[in-house]
Amino acid sequence: MASKFQRKPSPGGTVGMGGGPSSVSSTPSNQPRKRVKRCCRNFVTFMCTQVGVGALIVIYAICGAFAFMHIERQFVDETAGHVMELRQNCSQQLWSITEQHNIIDRRRWTEATNDVLREYQSQIAGVVKHGYVGRSPEQIWSFPAALMFCLSVITMIGYGNMVPRTPWGKGFTVIYATFGIPLYILYFLNMGRVLARSFKFLYRSLHDCTQEHPRLDRMDALEGGVGMTRKKVIVPSTACLWVIFFYVLTGTVMFANWEKWSLLNSFYFCMTSLCKIGFGDFVPGASLTTSADVNAATQKLQEDISADPAELAQLQSVAADQHSKLAINFVYMLLGMGLVAMCRNLMREEVRLKAREMREDAKLCMEDTRLRFVGCCGNPRDAYEDDYY
Amino acid sequence: MSSRRSSFRRREKPAFERFKDHCRHFTAFMFSNVGIILLVTFYIIGGAFIFQSIEIFEYERLKSEKPHRFIARNFSGECLSRIWELTAENISFFDHHAYRRRVNDVLLDYQRAIVKKQLKGPDVEQWSFSGAFLYSLTVITTIGYGNITPHSECGKLVTILYAIIGMPLFLLYLSNIGDVLAKSFKWIYSKVCLCRICPGVAKRRIIRERRKMRQLARALQMHDMENARGSSSYTSTSSTTSSNSSSSEYTRSSRQSSSLVDIQYTESDSDIEREIRGSTDEITVPVTVCVFVMVGYILWGALLFGRWEDWNYLDGSYFCLISLSSIGFGDLVPGDRVITADRDKVEVSFILCAIYLLLGMAVIAMCFNLMQEQVVHNIRAIKRGFKACFRCRTS
Repeated sequence: MASKFQRKPSPGGTVGMGGGPSSVSSTPSNQPRKRVKRCCRNFVTFMCTQVGVGALIVIYAICGAFAFMHIERQFVDETAGHVMELRQNCSQQLWSITEQHNIIDRRRWTEATNDVLREYQSQIAGVVKHGYVGRSPEQIWSFPAALMFCLSVITMIGYGNMVPRTPWGKGFTVIYATFGIPLYILYFLNMGRVLARSFKFLYRSLHDCTQEHPRLDRMDALEGGVGMTRKKVIVPSTACLWVIFFYVLTGTVMFANWEKWSLLNSFYFCMTSLCKIGFGDFVPGASLTTSADVNAATQKLQEDISADPAELAQLQSVAADQHSKLAINFVYMLLGMGLVAMCRNLMREEVRLKAREMREDAKLCMEDTRLRFVGCCGNPRDAYEDDYY
Repeated sequence: MSSRRSSFRRREKPAFERFKDHCRHFTAFMFSNVGIILLVTFYIIGGAFIFQSIEIFEYERLKSEKPHRFIARNFSGECLSRIWELTAENISFFDHHAYRRRVNDVLLDYQRAIVKKQLKGPDVEQWSFSGAFLYSLTVITTIGYGNITPHSECGKLVTILYAIIGMPLFLLYLSNIGDVLAKSFKWIYSKVCLCRICPGVAKRRIIRERRKMRQLARALQMHDMENARGSSSYTSTSSTTSSNSSSSEYTRSSRQSSSLVDIQYTESDSDIEREIRGSTDEITVPVTVCVFVMVGYILWGALLFGRWEDWNYLDGSYFCLISLSSIGFGDLVPGDRVITADRDKVEVSFILCAIYLLLGMAVIAMCFNLMQEQVVHNIRAIKRGFKACFRCRTS
């Protein structure tokens, strides 16, 4: 009787407070203060977890980019010198052939020169297979490209269009991946949870707007209301799939406009990137023009009078435009990963709920079968029960 | 009454029921684990055949429709003719350095043409069964080396569908095999750890008895304090609550004393075995052991690939870590050198690489499961300590 008397005022008071003698003794003036304190606590928690983790990832990627630039630019590209030596050797051989064979004898000269060129071609092909791309490390490892590389390492996409070649670079990649991937997984889970909650809230609001009229009709039945509130919380899989589809479609149009790919190639790139496959045949950073390229074009302009100055100006304007594109691409990837995590969480909730319902149905079916079985041949059991009692 | 019911339930399950339960468990194990492994394997092999047929068919179609595309430009012939023109021009005066410089420019253009052709050239020879198999594996496991990519539109669409269907399948495989490996590893670890615990069982028992004695003393002290509070209070409600709590304390103390007596009497082997089983079930594998297993597997893979592919030790470790973490740059891919050499060795190398990757990903999933358990356990301990500290502050 006394416990019932104590419990009655608690639903009348604050819902969040736990029932007990302490709630009765507390004065009403403390409630708004505690509410404000709780809001502040939640806000600080949100800032520390979500924005903190996101900022941590961005800082980690930027520091990694600078580190990789520093390490890989010290790489002395021996293949360039090797290629130059090959070319010098080839020209030397051609000169000796010209000296040796008289110009009048063209057939023999042609045969000898063809042999030299074929050997030269096979050597160049071998060098290319070993990783020669015709650009210096300073051209390859610009800051935007290094940032894209760090992003692909952390998110486990791994395009492979540019890879570390020095032993220090490879070792640092291993360490960077070891520490970066857990950090990314933490971001992935947190962002997925927050986005799932936001999307659920949004979906509930939309559902309430849609279901306003039938709700008024069913206002009298409390049980129906409880059922409806429970059903509204679960977001269906089709909504998640639509969200992913629209996001991929947006990315498709964006990359198709920027990189001048076809729509199919752009869609293919978005799917392989968001699924973290990342073949590397299409990489947005591949067309990035760097300051090193601009310098190389300037030198070329100085050396050769016939070069086009308009091309150089266009190259400079394109280089200035790359950073904003890269930033948007970076945000697209990270947000896309969070969106995938959100959809994964929501789908998992729905699958779990359906599995539970299926389990209950199976249990009921099994019990029904067992009852029928007992009904068919119940004599030995009854005798056994009589013996027991 | 309860003992009678328990005996009745034990009698209710004869040997036949136990045998049926064991059969059910075995069937579930077979269908869940081995079935998933076979399903993943067949999915990869099926994907290999599909991609191989698509790319070869597309290549043949393009070859028949647009033959002029596939007639490669004769770069060497052009280069040869240009050099001949240079030589013909220089008939009158034999300037050595000028001639070499001009020939160098011609060779530079020739080199650029070779590099472009080498980098962008689509090779249909890559789409052998082994190459397609490795490609399917990299799609499902999200490694994505990129050394082999589909160039046809149909191939790209099929890749997207294949990835969407295959990745959940692979995640299912990882979770199931990861759980099985985690349980097996935990069992092995508990067996290894159990050898050390055997001499310490007696010490444990003594410690437990001491703890129970301390708890009994604490209960008596709390009882005395509450009796004092009850006597000091004046209101009827507080006196009734204190009397209820005192009666509950009496019952608790009596139960504890009876349990202590029971513990002193029962010291049979079955109890010891039960305690050992309970302790083995509660063992959590520490993080260092998981990290050691992962590093050991990567180094073992480095040794294997170093032997197969003639890689550097650092390159082998680098490749194993990049592959198992599903980054997959594609600068180092097994079979690159073997593709041009021989056809029979390709099969063995690719198959072994596939087995290594599938098993390695399962091992990493196992280690992550165990680490997660350890982290959750530590967080709970910290939470409990924080709660106890909070209680001390409030009181």
